Amino acid sequence: MSDTKDTDTNVEGQKKDHGVLYIGMDLGTSRTSVSASNGVRETIYSLVGYPKDVVSKKLLKKDVLFGKEAIEKRLSLKLYKPLEKGVIKYTGEDMDADAKANLQAAKDLIGEAIRLAKPRSDELVYCVIGAPAEASMKNREAIIEAARAHVDSVMLCSEPFSVAYGLDWLEDVLVIDIGAGTTDLCRMHGTMPEEADQVMFEIAGDAVDAELARLITESCPGVQFTTQMIKEIKERYGYVGDAPERVTVELPVEGKPTPFDITTQLQQACSILIEPILQGIKKLVATFDPEFQTKLKNRVLLAGGGSMIKGLDTAVEKAMKERLGGGKVIRIEEPIYGGSNGALKIAHDMPEDYWEQLK
Amino acid sequence: MTGFKETLKDAVRQMSFRTSLDKLKKKGVQQVNVLGIDRIIALIEAAVHRSLKSRLLTTDREAVADATKAEFLRLLRSNEDLQRQKSEVEQARERAEEEIDAMRLELGEKQRALQIKLEEDALVLASRYQGEDFAIAQKVAAVVQAVAKDPEVTAQQLEAKLMEVVMDVVSGEREAAETARKALQDREVHNLQRRIKKLTDTLSVTEQRLQHVSALKSVDGGISSVYREVQGLDGGDAQAGKKKELMAEIFKANLMLRKGGKGA
Repeated sequence: MSDTKDTDTNVEGQKKDHGVLYIGMDLGTSRTSVSASNGVRETIYSLVGYPKDVVSKKLLKKDVLFGKEAIEKRLSLKLYKPLEKGVIKYTGEDMDADAKANLQAAKDLIGEAIRLAKPRSDELVYCVIGAPAEASMKNREAIIEAARAHVDSVMLCSEPFSVAYGLDWLEDVLVIDIGAGTTDLCRMHGTMPEEADQVMFEIAGDAVDAELARLITESCPGVQFTTQMIKEIKERYGYVGDAPERVTVELPVEGKPTPFDITTQLQQACSILIEPILQGIKKLVATFDPEFQTKLKNRVLLAGGGSMIKGLDTAVEKAMKERLGGGKVIRIEEPIYGGSNGALKIAHDMPEDYWEQLK
Repeated sequence: MTGFKETLKDAVRQMSFRTSLDKLKKKGVQQVNVLGIDRIIALIEAAVHRSLKSRLLTTDREAVADATKAEFLRLLRSNEDLQRQKSEVEQARERAEEEIDAMRLELGEKQRALQIKLEEDALVLASRYQGEDFAIAQKVAAVVQAVAKDPEVTAQQLEAKLMEVVMDVVSGEREAAETARKALQDREVHNLQRRIKKLTDTLSVTEQRLQHVSALKSVDGGISSVYREVQGLDGGDAQAGKKKELMAEIFKANLMLRKGGKGA
């Protein structure tokens, strides 16, 4: 039982004596997901929009819009995608107006993610945020600063680590977290992963979208689309290996919806993930203790939004068999919430005095 | 026990969401596995009982089971209370908005009525003066004509004299009538002005109340956590030692980050 709990108050001076809410957050380039100890689990696109002028503000009746709502109303908004390659854009010493706007958007996004967890004002709120291992100091400070405005205490941890921790796989496991901006590979061996335990590359969800857009433009003359449309097609039909079914989508050509068979293009675009993943696995396995290499190969976890591409686990496994002599790839059950669930578990397991010291 | 089962069932139902087959198909879902609510409840109960049985003595088990049920019911009630409070605040806001609308309507009507009344009074007054002047002129003319028959009195003298007399009467009448009309008009105007002032004050108070209710609404009640106290690692966890080290490392990295060093 916490002694401090009875004396904690929030900014309005209200006593925080009702309970303790733990929040786990996965701050991603494409999506931000939260899992909380009150049963709430939410995910939103990492997009923030501000009304362009007074007229749109009056029409929208909001100062800031997030996620899908921001996409829907994008014509009336200044739209920001504050995270790029897994980190907040341009957080450095010399920030121009655009960089400052992005930082504000990132702060607002973190605030919204915490609000989505529906915290009570009379509860202590402790939050763990999964941040990319590559995030810079300034970036981490910015994330912490943004979150501290909304919670009582906050900690950061490596994203792939939180995925593995959430599944209680702490030893001899290799996590592949396929996000939108980056794919992160991280090997776990019972301690906190160090730099040598991690591999990061930028061929991830956004790269697949770009490749698919290129292939469609090449093969479907006159076709019109947006990045968001391509993203939705990939999320719905994306696959590697053998096609489960023909994929036909309707895209406009000079204003007229026209059906296109994009089965081959989709397979080609999604397949660009396999080779770099394999190279990453190879590097992490080859530099691991030889005695445990086989065990590591047989405990490969596929996580993140990109892991939802159909057949990706089988394709990576097949490539491992051919090039590394075998391996077992397991796709986590909930790719969208794997990171946030793990972060929630870390928050739960964190001792009270640690939280207190970071208040 | 049956009651608790029903409550648990209700809670599971409340936490579930509805979706249509079309929506699932749009998401690319072709098949779904269906698990009945009774089966879910039975699984939860079995899991809880098995866990309690393996870790606790019979008496402890019952005590823990009772305490857990009580806590579950308390949380459920707490959430229901919050929902009810939220709904009450929303209703209060709606009522306040309706009141304001009605008041604005009434205020507008009263202002329009006052304007019409003022314009009407001005017209009536003008037309009355015109009638009275005409009657007076006629009377004077009649007197002048009658006296004109007397050759000793000059016409100018007589007219001046008569006009003096008549204007005395008329001005007295006018003064009295004007005073009466003014009193009446002032009363009406005063009443309307008082009513407008009252409505304006009430509108201002209600708008303040609305702002207050809106502010309350924006502070969402939230959903209670399942934890009343800070948790920490479970000592019975098979990997407790390792996890404890990992937690310490995460904390250390975050502490360094907070102090401006490298970490996390």
